[in-house]
Amino acid sequence: MRKLHFCLLALAALNLGFIARIGAAPMVKTEHVEAELVTDKAAAKPGTPLTVGLKLRMEPQWHTYWKNPGDSGLPTRIQWKLPPGWKAGALQWPYPQPIPVGPLMNFGYEDEVVLLAELTPPANAPAGNATIAAKADWLVCKDICVPESGELETTLPVANAEPPQNPRFQAHIERARSHLPVAPPGWNSRAALRNGSLVVQLTPPAGVEVPAKARFFPELENLIEPAAPQKVTRDGSAIRFEMKLADPPLKDVATVKGVAVAESGWKGTERRKAIEVSAPVVASIAAAATTSSSSDAASATSVAVAIVLALAGGLILNLMPCVFPVLGIKVMGFVEHAHGDAFAMRMQALVYSIGVVASFLALAGIMLALRAGGSQLGWGFQLQSPAVVAALAALFLVLALNLSGVFEWGAFAQSLTSQLTARGRYADAALSGVLATVVATPCTAPFMGAAVGYTLTQDTAHALAVFLALGVGMALPVLALSVFPRMLRLLPRPGAWLDVFKQILAFPLYATVAWLAWVLGAQAGNDAVFALLLGLVLVAMGAWMYGRYEHWHGAWRSGIAMLLAVLGLVVAWPGAAPAGDAVATAQEELGWQPWSPEKVRELTAAGHPVFVDFTAAWCVTCQVNKRVALHNDAVRHSFSSHGVVTLKADWTRQDPRITRELSALGRNAVPVYALYAPGTDNPRLLPEVLTPSVVLDELAKLPAPATSLTQRSPERTVQ
Amino acid sequence: MIRALAAAVAAATASIAFASATPGAAAPAFTLTDLSGKPVNLADYRGRTVVLEWHNFGCPFVQKHYRSGNMQALQKKYGKDVAWLAVNSTARTAFDYAEPAAIASDLKRFDAQPARYLMDTPGEVGLAYGAKTTPHMFVIDAQGKVVYNGAIDDKRSANPDDVKTAKNYVAAALDEIKAGKPVSTPSTTPYGCSVHYR
Repeated sequence: MRKLHFCLLALAALNLGFIARIGAAPMVKTEHVEAELVTDKAAAKPGTPLTVGLKLRMEPQWHTYWKNPGDSGLPTRIQWKLPPGWKAGALQWPYPQPIPVGPLMNFGYEDEVVLLAELTPPANAPAGNATIAAKADWLVCKDICVPESGELETTLPVANAEPPQNPRFQAHIERARSHLPVAPPGWNSRAALRNGSLVVQLTPPAGVEVPAKARFFPELENLIEPAAPQKVTRDGSAIRFEMKLADPPLKDVATVKGVAVAESGWKGTERRKAIEVSAPVVASIAAAATTSSSSDAASATSVAVAIVLALAGGLILNLMPCVFPVLGIKVMGFVEHAHGDAFAMRMQALVYSIGVVASFLALAGIMLALRAGGSQLGWGFQLQSPAVVAALAALFLVLALNLSGVFEWGAFAQSLTSQLTARGRYADAALSGVLATVVATPCTAPFMGAAVGYTLTQDTAHALAVFLALGVGMALPVLALSVFPRMLRLLPRPGAWLDVFKQILAFPLYATVAWLAWVLGAQAGNDAVFALLLGLVLVAMGAWMYGRYEHWHGAWRSGIAMLLAVLGLVVAWPGAAPAGDAVATAQEELGWQPWSPEKVRELTAAGHPVFVDFTAAWCVTCQVNKRVALHNDAVRHSFSSHGVVTLKADWTRQDPRITRELSALGRNAVPVYALYAPGTDNPRLLPEVLTPSVVLDELAKLPAPATSLTQRSPERTVQ
Repeated sequence: MIRALAAAVAAATASIAFASATPGAAAPAFTLTDLSGKPVNLADYRGRTVVLEWHNFGCPFVQKHYRSGNMQALQKKYGKDVAWLAVNSTARTAFDYAEPAAIASDLKRFDAQPARYLMDTPGEVGLAYGAKTTPHMFVIDAQGKVVYNGAIDDKRSANPDDVKTAKNYVAAALDEIKAGKPVSTPSTTPYGCSVHYR
């Protein structure tokens, strides 16, 4: 008694405390919460379960906690006091919301929450009245925390008849039920704990799309750092959450349980926002993907399709303006040797193919390794470096000059390899395979970026398989010619026409140089283009000298030509840090504002529809779409009449923020077109190839703009 | 206007560096002032075991351990061998911030006996240790190494009656250190009120 007295004194001194309630009632009002016991039925039937809920109505801005409260706080607890023989099921928690407190993060509920449980009266429950009682303890917090509790009870008639619904609480219980996480069938989940992070991957059944944005709430306290940002990516058809593990990490976690919440809802669950996750912990997610299961079979077929498409894509690459001339040279080489040793020719073709495939794999390997090292890269990364663009421009110029007849490789190439021996020819064949791949890259990136980028979101083995197919596809025509040498006979015999044909092939290469110069301009500004062109003049001078003074001593000739070429490259080499202003002006487009994730959030929250163009100067598809669709008058008019704010995310140079956003959208390459309806953060993605009608149709699906928005649209679209 | 908004959003979402004093790692160094304004340096206690108790009398979880007499008993029992430092990281702008004079009188009223009571109003020390709740307990050994980080005990409630049946992690750690044994439970999940940083 004395101790109690002391306690009360202390409480008074601190101006804080419990509101103690003596005696139970259906509703208890505490300082910050109204608590009530609610049931879905107005009566109980023996042996038939009914749902009971603890409804907590918090004062505005006060919150109570989920079963894992996060960094601080306590979960609400209920102790049931039931008539004899009654059974209570586990507490069912609606999904929580994140509640940040300075640098800390809590998981809980604001406004109102109903915690549900199933109660089952025994089959022999006597008729009459049954009293369901509960002692509930909750911690309610705003700036400060107050532990509160209530003794609640409600009385139900028990009768052996179908119990009537309880209209008073129906809506509250229904709402709480709709907020419970569901466990849709056919989903597969896995978790991995490594290098200080927890990765949870959810794979939907075939054909079900995952949302772009979601958040994972683990059931286990102290498993993750609740306040650390979660990285959410789409990995093929799956969604992957990467979270920071608590330090020190919990030991012996065999299963990661929790709730994944997507504001846009989960497909295949009648738009429920929360799904239940129970993910077995595996050594690593990539390794887990190879263990077979029903959903992996589906992804295996999609990888097979990707491989076939890559084979076809590789074949088509041969017709690209950058590759065709090189292929032409190779085939012409075969024509010249058509009457020679068939075996040697076949071997050469094989070596050429190996050169192509190996270079594709090497390129893919470099990129995958860089990505594994944490670089934010996508396919097309080769062209994000101004230096690579400049070097490619010089290479294309040299190839074009060669085709124009300014100089002959002949002696030069042979002086690199041993003269005219079979081994020399093989080295030459392998080198031309490498060359073909190198010259193909500026074409693969812009035309096939989106497709190749998609496969990169698969695991490493699948990605490499697709690159292998791409390489084989590209080598296929040469391989076919070597296997069926009779096809060569169909080609006209070499003669004067061959020279003309070669010279004509030079022009697509000159065009490629012009395009690369434009790409460099967008990346590094006007001055860099001037430097590049000056450098190319020096390279051309070297090539001309090499061709003109054929009679000079080999070493001298090659030496001076190389010197000029190197000098040209030095002049053309773009500075490390291009002037930001020059780039900005180069990228300015009327009516398009620069993109940032904050801007999208802010604009959609303010009720504006937003269209984002993820683009890059080196992406040809992007440029075509721009000309054909986005800058079309009808489309522009529709943008402004719908009050759409148009943003441009320019990936011409490396930008980790854009790479992250692309992967959040499940992509890895440009173009990507995202249309955000007002108030949503989950965009609709438009196809990669746009026509005006595609864009107009999507815009027509937007909710009708409020008049005030339409009036204000002109000033918003122009910054 | 849009730029201003964007700047505001960026500022609001900028995260504050939140570290963690992991068991086995060196305890982050600090110098703080006590209630009378005198500087206290953690390094001064090198060679002794140090207990850091994150504290705020406004928090019902802290009250649980003072109203039950639990924390005072620990301070008294281990005070001879151990330097018991209470740390308050509550921001001046927070609802539950208390002035040093008010804290001093509450300490007296509760007969609390930490060796020193340290004010960390900017919250830098709290953030360096990753102190999340009040109470949040850290034990540092004589070599300046963190050997315990977590809750005061295993009864995660604000009910003073639970103290009697709880397993006290800090007492266990201090007993093990005294016996020359390694701390068997070096890390638990702290519970309590959020520390109200800036």
